Amino acid sequence: MPIIAIDAMGGDHAPGEIVKGVARASLETDIDCLLVGDERRIQEVLETVPYNPEHISIVDCRDAIGMDEDPHEAVKNRRDASLLVATRAVAEGRANAMVSAGNTGACVLACARDFRLLKGIRRAALASVYPRHTEYTGQDPLALVLDVGATIRCEAEELVQFALMGSAYARRISKVPSPRVALLNMGVEASKGGETLVAAHRRLRRMPALNFVGNVEGNDLARGGADVIVCEGLLGNVVLKLVEGIAEVFTDVASAAARRRLTWRIGLALLARGIERLRELTDYTQYGGAPILGFENLFIKCHGRSNARAVANAVKVAAKAVRDRVPAEIAEAVASLR
Amino acid sequence: MSRLRVPSAPRPLVCRWDLDKTYLQSEFDSLRQLLRTAFERAEDKVDVPGVAELIKAIKKAAVRHGRTALVYFISASPPQIGKAIREKLVLDGIPYDGIVFKDQLAHLKRGKLRNLREHVGFKLVELLRGRVDAPAGARELLFGDDWESDSLIYSLYADVLAGRLDVDRLVPILRRIGVDARLIDQVVALVATAGRQDAVERIFINLERRTPTGTFRLFGARVVPTFNYFQTAVVLAADGHLDVEDVAAVARTLLDRSGYTGRRLENSLGDLVRRTVVSLAAAERIGAALRVAGVLPTDTPARSRWRRMVDAFRRYRGRRRARRAAAPAPRRAALDYDAILDRLRPTGREPSVEGRPT
Repeated sequence: MPIIAIDAMGGDHAPGEIVKGVARASLETDIDCLLVGDERRIQEVLETVPYNPEHISIVDCRDAIGMDEDPHEAVKNRRDASLLVATRAVAEGRANAMVSAGNTGACVLACARDFRLLKGIRRAALASVYPRHTEYTGQDPLALVLDVGATIRCEAEELVQFALMGSAYARRISKVPSPRVALLNMGVEASKGGETLVAAHRRLRRMPALNFVGNVEGNDLARGGADVIVCEGLLGNVVLKLVEGIAEVFTDVASAAARRRLTWRIGLALLARGIERLRELTDYTQYGGAPILGFENLFIKCHGRSNARAVANAVKVAAKAVRDRVPAEIAEAVASLR
Repeated sequence: MSRLRVPSAPRPLVCRWDLDKTYLQSEFDSLRQLLRTAFERAEDKVDVPGVAELIKAIKKAAVRHGRTALVYFISASPPQIGKAIREKLVLDGIPYDGIVFKDQLAHLKRGKLRNLREHVGFKLVELLRGRVDAPAGARELLFGDDWESDSLIYSLYADVLAGRLDVDRLVPILRRIGVDARLIDQVVALVATAGRQDAVERIFINLERRTPTGTFRLFGARVVPTFNYFQTAVVLAADGHLDVEDVAAVARTLLDRSGYTGRRLENSLGDLVRRTVVSLAAAERIGAALRVAGVLPTDTPARSRWRRMVDAFRRYRGRRRARRAAAPAPRRAALDYDAILDRLRPTGREPSVEGRPT
């Protein structure tokens, strides 16, 4: 059974929700969890919830990197922070993969510091999931987008590698036999987007092992035309934040409207079940987190606001990725390029 | 002139076990399961992993050290299923010294339907009866689970026996719980004859329902919730009731028959230390012996010199902190049962300390 290291102190609701998530995973699965963080605080939380100690061990460390800290400074100077102790545990073979809801920049830098890149991989990619329209029953309502911030600017070769990594991950984790891969661009034509995107498009089109469906524009993202969207880190991050921002504004507007007029309140009440269903379909907590791909070890990055359910699912995703040998599959896919 | 000290004979040890959910993995969440349990044959009954080995280990350790260990079962099941249960105990090779069942039919005849589900009075009476018949000066270990109100019943018994809870205070508590008046009278009579001795050393609660361990803080250090019988064995070894070879025997049963791994057992040991049930020094001593016995994993990956130094310092700090976590200090006062009932009892219902009573 894989051992998953969890940064207990990372995240807006750490350690409470992180520890509760691990406690939940310990009851629902046989996954061994290595909680890294302040042992006393972790134990305090554990004693308030049902858990199975047979699957939980704790590495005590008092330091933690805050969500608003400068990632470079923190990773450089805070050697005994929970995040770094956990990545070292994975690098030293005491755990097989890692989960954190902490400072995203620090997570990426910690991986870069302690993990080795897979052979042939030039840059790591931070992936994320976003809700999209489903076309058939059982289709994953969340698609994968990468990179969302690990690499700001990319070359064509790197985008091709991202496509291979994303495809391998979706094949294993989302159980899509042949994931549709698309390049995020400003037009569907192959000639659009400048030199890098054109070169990447050309190379991806020539790869029979990859189900490349061409370019997609921003308005196609939510339509579900692709299972994996590939883009530069800068663009991916903007897209991700835009999606989150729209969702928040939508919620705020709906709440304000409901407060203002009775008829709108009634309308929202009538739609409540539908809205709830929509929320369930697009609930990121069911996915747990998204991976940082390209390293020999797997790192699942959870949303900073992750609750216990999200953390438990992230632990399951990490264990599944280890069992299904996702890094090895990515390495094989990249090796086939050479 | 110095006089030779003649070692006094070790005090006998009495272990009282609940049956359902503590010894047997009985399922009675639904009426169908309840009926199935009632008509189950001995060979179909399943014991909780490691429990049979633990009971045998307690007996063996007692023989090894020349002391007496007696094992009794108290079950709230009706005597009608006693035959199957006795057969099951024989099948498992459990050396037991007595078993008591709850006469549910008598309650039905009396029209006391409430008493069918109320076990506090029944168990307290049987515990006290057992005490009257127990060898003089016997120490007691009590084993229950988190389905019924075992932690409450056993704690009441321990405090009554130790004289920390007198009858004047006990009776209102039992009334508040809703114990039948006839049973209260029996309890009062038995308290007078049971004698006074701080006999109950530990109360083990098998966390079958995974009740949060914090719930049991109310009952003090005497009550030890455990997640598996390896943990129970470790605590018994730390208290001197078992030897490490006995703990290893329980661990091996779990490894060979119940799909446990060395890592799961090691994590269980770590949990006991974190909950300050066992001191770090005792856990390290037992853990080292279990590693030699091949029960716990030994293949810790290599760590840096710096990390080893940090870990050594933490162990030292932990040992200092955990010195106070050894065997529970003798209690001078009874638990605050009013506070326990206030917190755990839904108004107008029997207290369900760890969950709904069965």
